[in-house]
Parts: sequence; structure tokens; C-alpha cells
Amino acid sequence: MLKVRGLSKYFARGTANELRALCRLDLDVRPGEFVSVIGSNGAGKSTLLACIAGAAIPDEGRIVLDGTDITGWPEHRRAGRIGRVFQDPLLGTCASMTIEENMALAQRRGRRRTLRAGITRAERARFREALGSLDLGLDRRLGEPCGFLSGGQRQSLTLLMATLVRPSLLLLDEHTAALDPRTAGLVMRLTCDVIERDRLTAVMITHNMQQALSYGQRLIMMHRGEVCLDFSAEEKSRLTVQDLIYHFHAANPAVQGAVSDRMILS
Amino acid sequence: MSLYAFSGAIELGLAYGLMALGVYLTFRVLDFPDLTVDGSLTLGAAVSAVCVTKGLNPFLSLLPAMAAGFAAGTVTGFLTTKLKILHLLASILTMTALYSVNIRVMGGRPNIALVGMPTVFDPIRSLDVSPFLASNILFVILVSAVILALVWLIRTEYGQALLATGANPKMITSLGVNTNFTVITGVGISNSLVALSGALIAQNQGIADVGMGVGTIVAGLASIVIGETILGGRRIAVVILSVVMGSVVYRLAIAAALSFKPWGIAFQPSDLKLLTAALVVAALVLPRFRDSLRRKGGKAARDA
Ligand SMILES: Nc1ncnc2c1ncn2[C@@H]1O[C@H](COP(=O)(O)OP(=O)(O)OP(=O)(O)O)[C@@H](O)[C@H]1O
Ligand SMILES: [Mg+2]
Repeated sequence: MLKVRGLSKYFARGTANELRALCRLDLDVRPGEFVSVIGSNGAGKSTLLACIAGAAIPDEGRIVLDGTDITGWPEHRRAGRIGRVFQDPLLGTCASMTIEENMALAQRRGRRRTLRAGITRAERARFREALGSLDLGLDRRLGEPCGFLSGGQRQSLTLLMATLVRPSLLLLDEHTAALDPRTAGLVMRLTCDVIERDRLTAVMITHNMQQALSYGQRLIMMHRGEVCLDFSAEEKSRLTVQDLIYHFHAANPAVQGAVSDRMILS
Repeated sequence: MSLYAFSGAIELGLAYGLMALGVYLTFRVLDFPDLTVDGSLTLGAAVSAVCVTKGLNPFLSLLPAMAAGFAAGTVTGFLTTKLKILHLLASILTMTALYSVNIRVMGGRPNIALVGMPTVFDPIRSLDVSPFLASNILFVILVSAVILALVWLIRTEYGQALLATGANPKMITSLGVNTNFTVITGVGISNSLVALSGALIAQNQGIADVGMGVGTIVAGLASIVIGETILGGRRIAVVILSVVMGSVVYRLAIAAALSFKPWGIAFQPSDLKLLTAALVVAALVLPRFRDSLRRKGGKAARDA
């Protein structure tokens, strides 16, 4: 489980452009909970995930995962417990390496890289099987470079890689935002399947209100580096997209109209 | 071109091929333009030469030479990862510092002659083979061993992490690899190969000279791009082989340019750096030029 306490993050601290991206933020995520996070642009959602993953170093606060304080851990060390999917499909895989090589890298997440074989025969069989479950025909393309795959295929593969070794926490930062609506739906369904199958604890950022309502047991809204609304599963089930937009504007009166058609329709 | 010049060019091609493999490791695998090599080639030559003159077995002298090259590489890696100095600049700093270090290693002199000293080539020269072949046989054995070792290394878990560090550092960090470690060790391994190359060249030519490393990086790049043009291919073993082939072809081309007086121009050895730089520029730019030509061609075909 994840416990975030009093997390603050400043950018350009001490200059005229000082910006507080996270403001003494508290967040508790229970084991097996799937949390969706929404909020306007610049609310601090990505910064929160970056701090949890270790890609950004917070100025104040603690992050505790499974009872271990990981605040001082470097990013690569936290990776042993945290699986991630980025917004940009190009970031999740190595274009020049083959599908199976990418999966072999993911299979060793959190383990020391030794001088043993980078990929074994047994692993290949396992990868083929795992790819088969995606139903994208990738199980026949193990030896092809990832650069040959479409954005949706790459994002599906990244999701598979992030969960190949069961993570204590799965972080998804708008991982369907760069995909067309049909592919986004596909990747989203895949995400749910994996989270349900492995009973993963997950935090997902999205700009899609419908997605935020349909998926996950809990919905939180962020504003100016704080959690401003927190709906439990039960509260969430009674919410509509219209309610959510109302809350969104109430939290953020300065940007009336900031809710784009994309959020409502897609 | 005389047989002597021909076999000499192949010798150089193989000897510098080891250096080119090192440059391949940084430039292509780690995506790290590493100028340390200009200094570490000389460092390898100097360390090996000093060890041999002090009575160490010439084969054993290759080990401290490689260790010194590795150390030089880790300095560059440390400057760029931990101290966050731009990689190109970090390598230039190490290269510059190595100039002083190399003269220190050689006891304050700018060169060490190895005439009359034992070298790794002695055992094979004492066999009854043509002198044109003798060093080449040893080089082929050594280069083959290094190629095999590199192919093996790239296929290990560590080697795959090395590839990913160059291709997508953000991704491989999120998969638990400390890229500082892979960069530092990777640049170290690269420079140990370059130093090995320098040591062998010094023993083969009978002299270690402080200026011998000048232009190493450019020759390495030339070998890589020539090799890619000739062989191409994606399989790691093919790519690695192509680098050595590129190095041999490059030295043959230089020997040809020196002996044939192309277009009535008599090139001098001192012109070679200019020619090489021009060659690398052409090789780096031509693929892009070809692509844009193809695109224009495609457009013309559609318009017709
Ligand atoms: N590297 C950085 N340097 C300076 N400021 C930054 C940096 N990264 C983020 N910020 C600022 O921090 C604030 C929060 O950014 P963040 O990316 O967390 O927002 P977000 O909620 O993810 O927004 P979006 O919905 O647009 O992705 C923004 O005002 C942003 O400009
Ligand atoms: Mg964001």
C-alpha cells in the first residue's frame, strides 16, 4: 500500500518564477485499490506520479510503500516495486530492440543485471504466451524491433512489460491520451483486465472524465498541487460526467470552459 | 599498391579495428560521442611500452594497458553521470588531461622506442611464415577473440541493459537499471579496447608516441560508417563484424590514396586527417541526402 504524507514539490525554488507543483499533499492508497486521478492542466498530477516513482525529488514529505519509506530511494531502485506506463508510447519500449528483448529487460525489473544470458529459451515461450493474451498478433512477431509497432501496440506491450513482474504499485500517466479513441478503449480494457487479474494497486491519471468514472474504485481530483475531491467507489457510482464537470469548474473557476469536448465526448 | 603496403594496411585495419569496436560501443551502443579515445589509445601504448621496457612479458603488458584505458573511460563516465558535465565536454576534459598523464607514464618523454624489445609478435615471427603474414595472423586471432567476447557481452543481461541505456534511458531506468553504472562501465570497457589497440600498435610499430592518438575518434567513426555501408544488417554479430571490416577497408582506401595518386593529386600522409574527416561527413550526411532524393523521386513519380 502507498502512503504519501505532506508532499511538496517546488520548481525554480527561490527565483521569481517559483512554482509550487505539489502542496503538502496527503494520499493513502489501499492494497488492491485502483485510483483514477483527474485535474486541470498543471494541477500537479504528473509531478505527483514522478515523485512517487522517484523521477522527481520532492522538497518535503515522505513516501511509504508497503511499509518501507522510499523517499530517499533513487528511481532505479524504486523500479523494483513500481511498474510504469508513460503517456508517450515511444518512451515505454526500445524501438531498436526486438519485442522479446524488451520483454526480457522488463522480466528483470528490479533485479541485478548479471553476465548471464539476456534472454533464455524458457522466457521466450513465456513471452509468446503473454503476448498471445493481448490478442494483437504480437506473439508471432517476437523477433521484430518495437519500432515496427503502432502506438497502440507499443502501449499495450508497455503495459504488459510493466506488469510482467508483479509490481506493488502500477502508475499510469495518461497512458491512453496519445491513442485514437478505439485503440484507447482497447488499451483501457487491457489495463482493467491486468489490474483485476493480478489484483494490482494502481494510480491512473486521465483527462477523460468518462474513463475516470467507468474505471477504478476511487476517483480523486487534484487542484493546485492538492487533492481537492476524493470519491469512494460508492460515491463514484452515483456520479455522472455532468456532476464531475460541475465539480471541476467549482474547483477551478478561473478556467471556465477548460473542460474540453475531448473530456466529455471521448 | 605493393604487397608490402597491402599487408601493412590490413595490419593497421585490424589493429585499429579493436579501437573501432571500442568507439562502436560508445558511439552506437551508448549513444555517447566519446573523445576520450584520442587519449586512451596513447595511454594503452604508453603503459604497454613502459611495462615491456621494464621487462614485463609483452602479452601480460596488454592487461595493465587495458586496465588503464578502463580507468580513463570511467573518469569520463563519472564526469558526465555524477558531475553532470555534458558527455562531449567530459570526454574532451579527460582526453586533455590524458596528454599530461601519458607523458608522465612515459617518464617525462614524448615517446618510447621499443626497438630490440620483445613484443607479442615475436613468437609468430619466429615461425616459418612470410613476414607479410606474421603479424596479421596474430591480429586475426586477437580481433576474432574480441569480436566473440563483445557479441557474448551484448547478449548478456548487462549488455542488453547497455543497449537500452543508449536507446531509451528513461525506459531502462523505469525497469530498474542504474544508468550511471551502465554508462560508467560501458565507457570504461570501450576505452579498454581502445587502449588494447594502442598497445598492439605500439608493439607492432616499435614506438609509443604521445601524438599517436590524434584523430582516433574520427578514424573510429569512419570505420563504423564504412562498415555499415558495406555490410548493413541488424544482427549484433553482423554489426560488430562490419565495424572491423570497415576499419580494414578504411586503411586499404588510405593506402590506395597514398599510392595511386588519384586525379593526379599526390596525397601526403599528413593530408589523411582531412580526407578522413571529409569521408565521415559524407558518410553521415549521404544517407539523409539519399532519403530526401528518394522522397523527391517518389513525389515526381506520383505527379507524373
Ligand atoms: N520540469 C519542470 N520545470 C518547471 N516547472 C514544471 C516542471 N514540470 C512541471 N512543472 C510545473 O509544475 C506544475 C504541475 O505540472 P504537472 O505536469 O504535474 O501537471 P499535470 O497535472 O500533470 O498537468 P497536465 O494535465 O497538463 O499533464 C505545472 O505548473 C508545470 O508547469
Ligand atoms: Mg501530466
